[in-house]
Amino acid sequence: MAFGLKKLLMGAAAVSVLAGGVAITANAQDTREIVTVVKLSGIAWFNRMEEGVQQYAEATGNNATQVGAATADAALQVQLIEDLIARGVDAITVVPNSPQALEPVLARALENDIVVIGHEGATLQNVTYDLEAFDNAAYGEHLMEALAQKMGGEGEYAVFVGYLTSVTHNEWVDAAIAYQEANYPNMTLVGGKQESAEQQQTAYQKMRELLRTYPNLKGMQGSAGEDVVGAALAVEEAGLSDQVSIVGTSLPSVAGPYVETGEIDLISFWDPALAGYAMNVLAEKALNGETIETGADLGVEGYNEVRVDGKVIYGQAWVDVSADNLDEYDF
Amino acid sequence: MNAATRMFMSPQGVVLIAALLFALVVGFINPNFLSLATVIDLLRNSLVTAIFALGVMMVLASGGIDVSFPAIGAFAMYTTMSLVLGVDFDVPIIALFVISAAIGASLGLVNGILIGGLGLPTLIVTLGTLSLFRGALLTFVGTTYITNVPRNVISFARTMIVRMENAVGQLASLPLSFVVLVGVTAFVAIIMNLTKFGRAIYAIGGSEEGARRIGIKVGRTKVLIYVIVGAIAGLAGMTHMTLSRMANPFDLVGMELNVIAAVVLGGARITGGHGTVTGTLLGALLITMINTSLLSAGVPSYWQRVVVGALIIIGTGLPIVIDRLAKRRERLAQAAV
Repeated sequence: MAFGLKKLLMGAAAVSVLAGGVAITANAQDTREIVTVVKLSGIAWFNRMEEGVQQYAEATGNNATQVGAATADAALQVQLIEDLIARGVDAITVVPNSPQALEPVLARALENDIVVIGHEGATLQNVTYDLEAFDNAAYGEHLMEALAQKMGGEGEYAVFVGYLTSVTHNEWVDAAIAYQEANYPNMTLVGGKQESAEQQQTAYQKMRELLRTYPNLKGMQGSAGEDVVGAALAVEEAGLSDQVSIVGTSLPSVAGPYVETGEIDLISFWDPALAGYAMNVLAEKALNGETIETGADLGVEGYNEVRVDGKVIYGQAWVDVSADNLDEYDF
Repeated sequence: MNAATRMFMSPQGVVLIAALLFALVVGFINPNFLSLATVIDLLRNSLVTAIFALGVMMVLASGGIDVSFPAIGAFAMYTTMSLVLGVDFDVPIIALFVISAAIGASLGLVNGILIGGLGLPTLIVTLGTLSLFRGALLTFVGTTYITNVPRNVISFARTMIVRMENAVGQLASLPLSFVVLVGVTAFVAIIMNLTKFGRAIYAIGGSEEGARRIGIKVGRTKVLIYVIVGAIAGLAGMTHMTLSRMANPFDLVGMELNVIAAVVLGGARITGGHGTVTGTLLGALLITMINTSLLSAGVPSYWQRVVVGALIIIGTGLPIVIDRLAKRRERLAQAAV
């Protein structure tokens, strides 16, 4: 039974490959086919990325599309990429569920002269390039600069990470603390790194305790999307909205209500639409045989002066959202 | 042994003393800690843990264990909010709690049928349903945070029973959802102490075979226990939602060990037959205090987990050791006679 089903599926795949192959040979001369493979389809983040891919397709006339499985499953992603290799697309851009799991199939794509661009996968080996929205240290410094501005460059502040073991969060926060020590000597970190377990209520409890222990607390920098929301709730309930500035990574769909009231001063993130657009530009450049060097301009906001480190390309594509521009983002 | 010593030797007494000692130590390091406002904070922070814990206590008393309750709470809460957002009219707060409890009860029935009906081991079943309910929630109901909760939820969350300033002039307040805990406490206390059903739970926990022989319908009782625990989990989930003012389907799961630790600290035993409402509430308060007060005592983040773990082992181990010592003394006394 299981075998029968599998055979049937393979048959169907073969037919679609044939059909796809014919279509491609028909228009391969003028337009490129670039397919973006995302972690899963249907969620706000990747819907937003698809908008960027579509904008690219409209702007350039290239055949750029986005695909993704219904669940965030590494095995399904491998299958999707295998299908694309069989179809003979020109380039694949991919946001991996699990970078290690994709290495073999991406190696095969490269062998077939397909350009491969990764995103959020700085450890990927079998790619032409990997595009990162920003360098973690630079991003952490950016958040600290924003917090220092809000705090007037002085006073006690606290930092939150999702888990003490989460690499990215700690890179952001460590760079931020180092930046504060170098540039804002009148600011003091209190309480060490707080762990929110990426839970809003845990962040709330930790923030309450911080406020009780350090009554003069003036600032808070969050890392997980829930950190700033929990902190904002704690500050609001303690009646300290005017005293405490809150800055951190989050999304409008998560932190929106508190950004609107000004409880959260600033949230930052990267825009998946711009990342989607930039990945396609990168794929096109690679297809044209261009090499990307530090300082190159991808022609996409936030990716105007990239830094190249091996195969990894870093932009400065963070987007800052406060009460003023909250309504421009819907994810 | 006089009444006072007996009270202090009881599990509730031990956990009460432990809580007071812990508070004194933290207060000694940080004098701001010892205030009524801290108690208010503590009550507010332990709300969800305490409601869950009362349900889990019933399961432990019956000799079972449940780890699926946070998934039930998250499922019931999030599904209720998704449903409510789909309708045009304002759904009253009380209805949100009722719907959530009903969804929780029906998920609890799944546990109940597997455990009471088919006689499967409770840990295996609830480990399975923990994963099942959570997976079903994320796959079929949704993964996005609901931050645009109805207006009446926000105003409910902003309604406070008590509001006061702490030592440094910050507001501490107890939200209206505290009445959910009061209600659940009364309900569980009545069931466990005043009904035949409650007696049956303890009897099954003491000896399932014995309970069967005296005519208790073990299977039916177990089904009912898990239905009630599911409903309580639904209420806890909804309480969590009103406290956080948003519905996050990823929340709650991960709390299970904390809640079970609270129940065990409160004197219930994994082996069944024991557990009181007072002890459970004190256990929930103690575990919340341990988890949220170490910063005030100046314990660095990395050390907090070590301290939490050590305190849980001491807190749960001590009553058992004391109990054993008391039994031995009794035996020696009898031997002397």
